Amino acid sequence: MKMTNIYEGSYQWIMFGRDKNKPDNIIDTNQYMVKTATRCLLIDPGGVELFAPMLAAVLHYVPVDQITDLFASHQDPDIISSLGLWDQALPEAKLHASELWEGFIKHFGCDSIEYVPIGDNGGSINLDGIELQIIPAHYMHSSANFNIYDPQAKILMSGDIGAALEAPGSPVFVDNFDLHVEKMRFFHQRWMPSNQAKRVWIDRVRKLDIDILAPQHGRMFQGDDVNRFLDWFESLQVGIAV
Amino acid sequence: MNVGQTKSQFVAVASITAELSAVMDVAKEISLAAANAKAIAFRAGDKAKGFQPITDFINELAKETIELVTAINEHALLLYQMTVNNHRTSNVYTQLKLVEAQSKNAAYSSSLDLSLQNSQNKMSECKRDYKLNITQLLDQLAEVMHPARAARVIAANSRIEASQAGEYLQSLQAVAESVDNAAQVIHDNVTRCRSSLSIVQLTD
Repeated sequence: MKMTNIYEGSYQWIMFGRDKNKPDNIIDTNQYMVKTATRCLLIDPGGVELFAPMLAAVLHYVPVDQITDLFASHQDPDIISSLGLWDQALPEAKLHASELWEGFIKHFGCDSIEYVPIGDNGGSINLDGIELQIIPAHYMHSSANFNIYDPQAKILMSGDIGAALEAPGSPVFVDNFDLHVEKMRFFHQRWMPSNQAKRVWIDRVRKLDIDILAPQHGRMFQGDDVNRFLDWFESLQVGIAV
Repeated sequence: MNVGQTKSQFVAVASITAELSAVMDVAKEISLAAANAKAIAFRAGDKAKGFQPITDFINELAKETIELVTAINEHALLLYQMTVNNHRTSNVYTQLKLVEAQSKNAAYSSSLDLSLQNSQNKMSECKRDYKLNITQLLDQLAEVMHPARAARVIAANSRIEASQAGEYLQSLQAVAESVDNAAQVIHDNVTRCRSSLSIVQLTD
């Protein structure tokens, strides 16, 4: 599992991905971790196949008892099907996820972990005084869907928005936006169902100060590529399968 | 416990509920046969005097079987849930052992020890409870065999009593036949349940 430190201040953001041992028949995913003084949040901790390499990687940064919070941007298996295992490994932890998906996500196994339901308007997660905002991104692609925005680190974890289907082992940051576009086009046109929801999300996100846009698949965008992505996405027709 | 064993556990426990559902249907048939026999015996009057108490007995046996099967069904559902838990706890332990192997060089690898220990304890506890419940279920299934055996004896007696019933002979013999067949079906189904469970008990 490749580990990339994407923010270093009084706390850290680490991106995990590009696992060489990942089975070929499952989609590659990016997991993110926010580590503060005594706590740690795992954002979209991944599918059941990824539990062991992910936890093994996290142990390079924090002990098990400091993994206090999990966040699921939505209900998909590549996001959170590992829940049944985290539930046994971290019985004191909390899972922050949509209230709409509670009864669905719990099918993955959630006996010990506390499910903290997120209302449609979003909310926040406070880790040792670091306030992370939960930004609504409904229908992007899931009907109840959230991003995480960190105003201090200026990072937006955007879930499936900005995702790309890439060859294994690709770089973690976009290095040539124009070349990258074709890796994103089908993903966004087919998995994002609503142009209206897209416009609402873009309007909301343009008001945020973002240095890094960090999707759950493919490469992260930084600097000017963040706005390039928003412009490109704004002009893209989505929901093409009807 | 490997994947094949887990699969056989799920199949065995699920097949028990299917077999028991058939037993329940048959027990209800016996109950119906008892009511039918009672009506015939009533019409036959003195000719079927010896048959009348037998019909009550048949009814009691059917009732007892239905009660036992209901209790076993509840237990089987519990066992199914335990099979799921057993599978989950074993899977967690396996995964944590993988984490242990993959995090040897990690700064905080030793923080996993407690989780591993807890997971191992939980897995052992689950297995212990599981085995205990299989034994209890086997005992309950053995109990259902008793009314089934008694029903066969009653069926034999019914045939003798039916032979005295003149023109009602055929009707009452048919009742005896149906009780005998039903008892045989219950016996066969419960035997299959017990054998499935015994396999699970051995493979775990």
